[in-house]
Amino acid sequence: MSAESAVGRELELGDVSVPYHWLAVGSTTVLIATYLSVLFHVTDVVGGTTALLALVAATLLAGAGVARHLRAGQAAALAVGLLAVGVVAYYLTVPSAYLATTTVRKVVGDNVALLTGLSVLRMTEVGAWALGVAPGLVFGPWYLVLRRRYALAVAAGGAALGFFVLTGDAGSFVTLVGSLAAAAALGFGTLARRGGTPAQVDTIAVVLVAMILLASTVSVVPGGSASPVLPGGGGGTPTVEGSLVSNDDRANVVGSIRLSPKVRFTVESDESAYWRVGAYDRYDGDGWIRTGDTTDYRAQESPPGETTEVSQTVTVEAERLDAMPAAWRPTRLTDGDRSNTRITSAGSFDPVGSLRQGERYSVTSSVPDATERELQTAGTDYPDEVESRYLQLPESSGERIQERTDEITADAETPYEQAVAVEDWLESEKDYSLDVERPDGDIAESFIFDMEAGYCTYYATAMVAMLRSQDVPARFAVGYTPGQRVAEDEWVVRGLDSHAWVEAYFPEVGWVRFDPTPGDPRQTTESAELTQARASNVSDVDTDESEGGTWTPTTTESPTDEGATTTETNETNETSGATEPETGAEGPRRQTPDVRDGVNETVGGSATDEDATAAGASGDGGGLGITVEPPSREQTALGAVVAVGLVAAARRTGVIARLRRVVWLHWQPRSDPETDVSQAFDRLEHVLSREHRERRPGETPRAYLGSLADGDDRIERVGRLYERVRYAGETDERLADEAVSLVDELVRERRGAT
Amino acid sequence: MTEANPNPKAKSRQSDESPEPLSLDEAADLATRVVENVEQVIVGHRDPTEHIVTAILARGHLLLDDVPGVGKTMLARSLARSIDCAFTRVQFTPDLLPTDVTGVNVFDERTREFEFRPGPVFGNVVLADEINRAPPKTQSALLEAMEEAQVTVDGETYELDQPFTVIATQNDVEADRTYDLPIAEVDRFMKRLSLGYPSPEDESEVLRRVTGRHPIESLDPVATGEEVRRARETVANVTAEEAVREYVTRLANYTRDHAELGVSPRGSIALLRAGQARAVLDGRDYVVPDDVQAEAEAVLGHRVRTGGDLGGRSGPELIASALESVPVK
Repeated sequence: MSAESAVGRELELGDVSVPYHWLAVGSTTVLIATYLSVLFHVTDVVGGTTALLALVAATLLAGAGVARHLRAGQAAALAVGLLAVGVVAYYLTVPSAYLATTTVRKVVGDNVALLTGLSVLRMTEVGAWALGVAPGLVFGPWYLVLRRRYALAVAAGGAALGFFVLTGDAGSFVTLVGSLAAAAALGFGTLARRGGTPAQVDTIAVVLVAMILLASTVSVVPGGSASPVLPGGGGGTPTVEGSLVSNDDRANVVGSIRLSPKVRFTVESDESAYWRVGAYDRYDGDGWIRTGDTTDYRAQESPPGETTEVSQTVTVEAERLDAMPAAWRPTRLTDGDRSNTRITSAGSFDPVGSLRQGERYSVTSSVPDATERELQTAGTDYPDEVESRYLQLPESSGERIQERTDEITADAETPYEQAVAVEDWLESEKDYSLDVERPDGDIAESFIFDMEAGYCTYYATAMVAMLRSQDVPARFAVGYTPGQRVAEDEWVVRGLDSHAWVEAYFPEVGWVRFDPTPGDPRQTTESAELTQARASNVSDVDTDESEGGTWTPTTTESPTDEGATTTETNETNETSGATEPETGAEGPRRQTPDVRDGVNETVGGSATDEDATAAGASGDGGGLGITVEPPSREQTALGAVVAVGLVAAARRTGVIARLRRVVWLHWQPRSDPETDVSQAFDRLEHVLSREHRERRPGETPRAYLGSLADGDDRIERVGRLYERVRYAGETDERLADEAVSLVDELVRERRGAT
Repeated sequence: MTEANPNPKAKSRQSDESPEPLSLDEAADLATRVVENVEQVIVGHRDPTEHIVTAILARGHLLLDDVPGVGKTMLARSLARSIDCAFTRVQFTPDLLPTDVTGVNVFDERTREFEFRPGPVFGNVVLADEINRAPPKTQSALLEAMEEAQVTVDGETYELDQPFTVIATQNDVEADRTYDLPIAEVDRFMKRLSLGYPSPEDESEVLRRVTGRHPIESLDPVATGEEVRRARETVANVTAEEAVREYVTRLANYTRDHAELGVSPRGSIALLRAGQARAVLDGRDYVVPDDVQAEAEAVLGHRVRTGGDLGGRSGPELIASALESVPVK
């Protein structure tokens, strides 16, 4: 009891006592670790984890070394200096071309942009940046906490974490852990300064638990989408269709998805094509990021090889469209608002703001027209900027993927053969399903090794990762499949046509499309969805033309409700579709987009309001099916913290003591007679204290029992036995037996009722 | 009532071997007999009587601290009479000499030799009345006898007959012309008791009894000196387990922490011994904390000096608070 109220600077845990100072240091370390985990993730994606770890370790060691000798002012100067050196080093690595256009205003603008939720991963040389800032970010809080300036340490660490929260790189779990660590560091720091009691430690634990529980009720946090604790949750889950339509800088991979049958736009075009929205170059294990900036509109060069000119006119049918789908590669905007059009770093057109229903634009694209022979002989002489940008893979998963891909492409001699081999392997090994559980770890790695089924995003992600592991530059492209052909030169494109595929780079040819997603099951899935939507009279599912059925060049119209046509069936039978999209005269596996249409998936949840309506109307339910799953590591970790807190709360409220008391009261382990009798007497005393009163400290057992006048001879007897064993030194087993069994009886009788 | 031992033997060792102890029941019975016997004379002072009996059994001496006329002397006399042994009495006065207590060598004209005339200290129960009125030198002569159970006169040492119990009285009323006993000497008394005034009922009972023949005249001995010696052995053999010894130590430590001068180890020893005697009185051959508590105030009360208040007047209060707050384990 005395320990309960003792004010001290150490936390007593059984025989171990931990100074509060070290608990504060530990908490601060966790805080530092949270934002370092972001930097670690960055370096894992772009390379340099070893250097980062070495830098951090060196900083920690050096910090611990100098903390004693350095005054606060000097340390602040050192931290700022470290940060400055890091930033300068970063700018030195940025390509000079970029630097040439750099103005102070642009730098400031970029940084503000970062703070509005742009991931640091969008920075071109983010690896160098991470290495540059890491020492400064580590040193500040570390020094401060070692100097026992806990509040300042938490402020410094919190600011660093806050930066990553604003950029969106610190996920909700990391943010929550960081906040918990900050709170714990403050709490323990205060205890270390002023001294504290175990009760106060319990209070800290309870506060932390409250933070977790409250956080789990908040669905929207800056760091990300879902609640950090509960699966699913959160209405703000970014979806791939959202990414496709809005052409964001990041495409996340999500779990189960549904299809949206709403018409997005119609295309009048000479040729069928994949209406491409954008591409992504940086893969961080969770999803895709486009690095680099958009530029103002200007006419784009054609790809180096032979191309076919394709003119398209797109009419927006959805209420809003945030992208400008067009066949790869768009070169000129022949009709449209050029001043409100930008070029993304991956070469696609992108509207400023969004296009409204009824708006039209015309784009001329130069579609690469390479033959298989050209692709076979293209070689591997990639331009430097392509190599530096499109071969990146997370370090943590790269090697394993590479080994597997080596096996798969053992017979392939050229990049083209490798791509085909990978494509074939994915199509044959994986099943198509929209109902998948998003894996915890690296998407590509999980899909290649563990998952049995997935949809386009998974296929494309895996294929890009596998190609990159073979040093074939590749990127993740998103957009729409051609859609339903309603006339010779017109296509109707729906939300469920949105798609993700792969582009691989071939010297002298440019980016060539590969679609590893099997077409057949995709088609079935989509047909069913469209049928259902039509049956449920969902609005905006059809245009005037599409209702009439699908135009086919070879047969008469045979309209069906499902929008499936003879042509499509034929196509499907030869398993071309997405799997073998090239049907050119020479027969290379080139992206000839005359594949059947109408069967594609909407990836992700609603991009616009109609989608939500559609989802509800079609009875498809909310996007993410919540299934019972084993707890993730995050949940386990938070669960552990909650458990500790609950234990603390239980201890605070005396539940544990009561539990222990009950066990102790009813079950007495036996040892030597003296201990036995003493324990039996303690139990008796406890029972009597509940029934009558407690024994006063100076009161002898005899006086106590006598004063109660309970009238039970057994109580008197136990008292005598206790005296004989305790004060007369009798050590007879029988005395102990008698005392214990008497007390057992008494406890049963007197506590049984309560 | 001046039955001093007529022939004290110089340097005579009274049998080295201890007498055969009484059985526990016999010893308890003996103590009870004596207490009840004394009660025939002394009304309403059962507690002090028991204290005195246990002190005798625990080889201790007593200091009765009270106003005159409450029956201190009568108590001592009844006790001596109940035990068939020698009772002596010394009235301490300012002019009392040490030899008036211990005895003196006188020259026998007839035998042309010095002959030792034993003083009143040679008794089994010695009543030292108003001890604080004698000068320190005389006091210390008595105290030496109490401590050593022997007397030295002119270089000759005389062993005192056992049992030997001094019952000293102190008179608080006339504070002038007294020599307060220093605390170091008070420490040698096992217990300090005060009788206090009897309750009205008791007092009228006293008055009833003393009309006519004084009851003490008809008091018969109920024990012999030999029995008392054997009962003392019984007491000495009473078990005091570690739990009890620790309790005594904790009590002593408490007084040391809470008083200017705490209980000496001699006090702790006395307390444990008194506890042993108390256990026998209760018919047990082991000490329980209750015994210690019953004896604590009498045994320890005069051994502590609380802030500034000389004579340890608030000692009993301190002991009471010690008993209340020192946990019994």
